[in-house]
Amino acid sequence: MTQNGRVILGMQGVTKIYGSGDAATRALDNINFDARAGEVVVIMGPSGAGKTTFLTIAGALLRPTSGTVTVSGLNITEMGEKNLPEVRRDRIGFIFQSFNLLDSLTSLENVTLVMTPDRSRGKAGVNRARELLDMLGLSHRVKSLPKNLSGGEKQRVAIGRALANNPDLILADEPTANLDSKRGREVMLLLRQIAYEMDKSVVIVSHDHRIREVASRIVWLEDGTFRSDVETARDPVCNRVIEVVGAPQTEHIGVLFYFCGEQCQRIFAENPTKFAEAG
Amino acid sequence: MLIVARKNLFSERTRLAISVGGIALAVFLIGVLLSLYRGWENKVGGFVEDSNVDVWIANEGAKDFLAAASLLPYDPSLGVDPCQQQIQAALQDPNRRSQAQKFPVQDIRECRPLIVRQMEGLKVEIQSGGEEKILKKMNLQFVGYDAGTQLGGPLRIVEGSTDAPKDNEVVVDEALGKRYGVQVGDTLKAGGRDWNVIAKSGGGDFVAAQTVFVSLDAAADALGFNDAKKTTFYVIRLKDGIDAKAFADGVDIPGVHALDRSAFASNTKDRILSNVLPILAVVLLLAFIVGLSVAGLTIYTATVEKSREYGILKAVGFRNSYLYRAVLEQSIVTGFLGFVIGIGLMLIIGPFAADVVPQFVIFTRWQDVLAVAGATLVMAGVAAYIPVRRLASIDPVAVFKA
Ligand SMILES: Nc1ncnc2c1ncn2[C@@H]1O[C@H](COP(=O)(O)OP(=O)(O)OP(=O)(O)O)[C@@H](O)[C@H]1O
Ligand SMILES: [Mg+2]
Repeated sequence: MTQNGRVILGMQGVTKIYGSGDAATRALDNINFDARAGEVVVIMGPSGAGKTTFLTIAGALLRPTSGTVTVSGLNITEMGEKNLPEVRRDRIGFIFQSFNLLDSLTSLENVTLVMTPDRSRGKAGVNRARELLDMLGLSHRVKSLPKNLSGGEKQRVAIGRALANNPDLILADEPTANLDSKRGREVMLLLRQIAYEMDKSVVIVSHDHRIREVASRIVWLEDGTFRSDVETARDPVCNRVIEVVGAPQTEHIGVLFYFCGEQCQRIFAENPTKFAEAG
Repeated sequence: MLIVARKNLFSERTRLAISVGGIALAVFLIGVLLSLYRGWENKVGGFVEDSNVDVWIANEGAKDFLAAASLLPYDPSLGVDPCQQQIQAALQDPNRRSQAQKFPVQDIRECRPLIVRQMEGLKVEIQSGGEEKILKKMNLQFVGYDAGTQLGGPLRIVEGSTDAPKDNEVVVDEALGKRYGVQVGDTLKAGGRDWNVIAKSGGGDFVAAQTVFVSLDAAADALGFNDAKKTTFYVIRLKDGIDAKAFADGVDIPGVHALDRSAFASNTKDRILSNVLPILAVVLLLAFIVGLSVAGLTIYTATVEKSREYGILKAVGFRNSYLYRAVLEQSIVTGFLGFVIGIGLMLIIGPFAADVVPQFVIFTRWQDVLAVAGATLVMAGVAAYIPVRRLASIDPVAVFKA
C-alpha cells in the first residue's frame, strides 16, 4: 500500500451547520482530512456524528458552510453549481448502502449509463462495462435486472458503476450494511483491491467492525470532529464498532461487553452465552 | 430516446396503456368533432358555393339560403325576362322608395326569381281501403327554379331524368334516398300537392333539411306566390369578367340585400354552425382536458414513483436537464402513440359511422389533422411540465438514506 500516495480528497477547516438560530446543528466542526491514492480510510462514529454529512460534502453534493474541499486537486468549494455534476460523474464513484441501481436497467446498462459520452460511445463503452462486470465476477449477470440479483451482486454492479468513469475517489456509505457477512466480506475485499491495485482512494463510512480488516486507517468521527484518542469495542449483538467511554456495559464470565444502546444490551442479557461465544 | 426514458416508459405497460389510451381518446374525439364540423360546413355551404348563381338578391334581414323571411315583389305577368324590369318594379313600391337607388343592370347576364321555402314532406303509402298511411316525414328545402337558365337549380343529376321538372314533377336530393328511402318513381307529398320523383340530384344536403326541386311555376302555384306577386330571391348570373363582390357592393336598393356567392354561402353556414360552434368548442376543450389530465396524472405518478431513481441520477452526476429530457421524451412518445392510435381509430370508424348515421358527415382535412397533432404536442408538453418541476426539487442527498 502506498501511504505516501497523492492526496485525492482534501478537507481544510470544513464546517457544516444545518439550519440557523436556535435550530442550528453543527454537523461538522472545523475538520481537516486527507485521503490518499491507494488507501482505504474507514470513518466510524455514533449515529448523528456527521458521517453522511462528511460524505456528501466530499461527494460534491452538499456545500460546507465554510472550509475548502479538494477532489483530485480541484477545489470544489470554489466551483459553481453548474460544474458540480461533472465532478461527481467524472471524478467520484459512489457506493450506497441500498445499492441504488436503476430498476428497469440491466447490470450492463446500469454501468454504461453513467459513462461520460466520450467513454460510452459505441462499442467501447459496452466493452468497458463488460470488463468491469467480468472483474467483479458478474459476467453471467450482465443482462439481469436488479430485481433478479442478490444483494451482493447488486452491490458489485454498483461498484462497477462507481468505477465506470475511472475516478480517483470512491465514496461508500455503509456498503455492507444490507449484506450478510459472507457477501459483506466479498464487497470489502473488493474495495480494498480497488484501492490497492487500481490506486484509488477509497473512503468508507461504516459501523461494521469487519471492515476494520480492510482499512488502511480508521478515523473516529464524533459530534462533528475527528478524535484520535478513542477506545473502541465491538457491540456483540449488532456488531457495530462503538466508543467504550459512556457506552452501556455488561459483565459476562469476567469479560466486559459494550453496547451501542440499551436495546442491544437487553438482547444480550437474554442469551449472553450465544453472543459472547459468537464474538 | 434516452435509455432511461425508454426503459421507464415501456417497463410499465399498464400505465403506458392508460396514458396512451387517454390521449388517443382525446385525439379521437377532437379529430372526429373537427371533421364533423368540416363535414357539416361543407354540406351546408356546398350548395350555394357550387351553384351557378353569382349574386343573390334577398329581402333585408334575410342573408342566407335557409332564411325563411325573404319575400320580394314579383309580377309573373311581366314574364321572367328581363329580370331587371322586375326589380325596377319592386323599386316602384312606395314603401321601398328612396333617393339613392342603384342597380348596375348592364353587368347582368341573367336574372331570375327563385322560390325557396322550408316545409315538411311526406312519403305515404296508399292502403287497400284507399287511405293514405304516412311512412316518413322529412324536412325539405323546397326550391322552385327557372328551367331555362337553371339558375339555382340542382347542382348535378345523379339518377333519373336529366330534364328539368315540369308540372308535378320533382327532383330530390340523393340524401332523401339514403335517409328515407325516397326513390325515382315515388310520390312525395309537399305543400298540399303530390309530386312525382323523376330524378335524384347531388350536393343539396343541408344535414337538417334536404333540397327538392320543382319548376318555378309549379312552386309559385303551390305556394300561392303568383297571386301574391311574390318571390323569395332573385338570382343573378353576371357577365364574364364582372366581379361578384364589387357588383353586390354596388347594388343600393332600400330594403334589399345583394350578396355575392361566397358571402351568401358563409352566411348559410353560419346560420347552422354558429349555434354548434360554442358547443363544439366546449366539447373540444373537455376532450383536451381529459387527455391532458390522464396523461398528466400518469406521467406525474410515474415520475413520483421513480423520484428516488432520478435522485440517484443526480447524485452520480447527471444534470437536471438530462432528467427533464427523460420525462419530456416519455411524455412526447406517449403523445405520439396516442395521436397515431386516435387518428387511426378516427379514420377507421369515421366512414363506418357515416354509413350508419346520415348526420355523421365527416370531412378530414390535413390542416385539421395537423392542428390535432399540435394539440397533442401541447398536451404532452403540459403533461410533462409539473413532473419536470418536481424533478428540480429532488434532493440527491436523500439517496444516502437506506
Ligand atoms: N438536512 C439536515 N437538516 C438539519 N439537520 C441535519 C440534516 N442532515 C443531518 N442533520 C443533522 O446533522 C447531524 C449529523 O447528521 P449525519 O446524517 O451526518 O450523521 P451520521 O453520522 O450520518 O448519522 P447516522 O449514523 O445515523 O447515519 C445530526 O445531528 C443530524 O440530525
Ligand atoms: Mg448517515
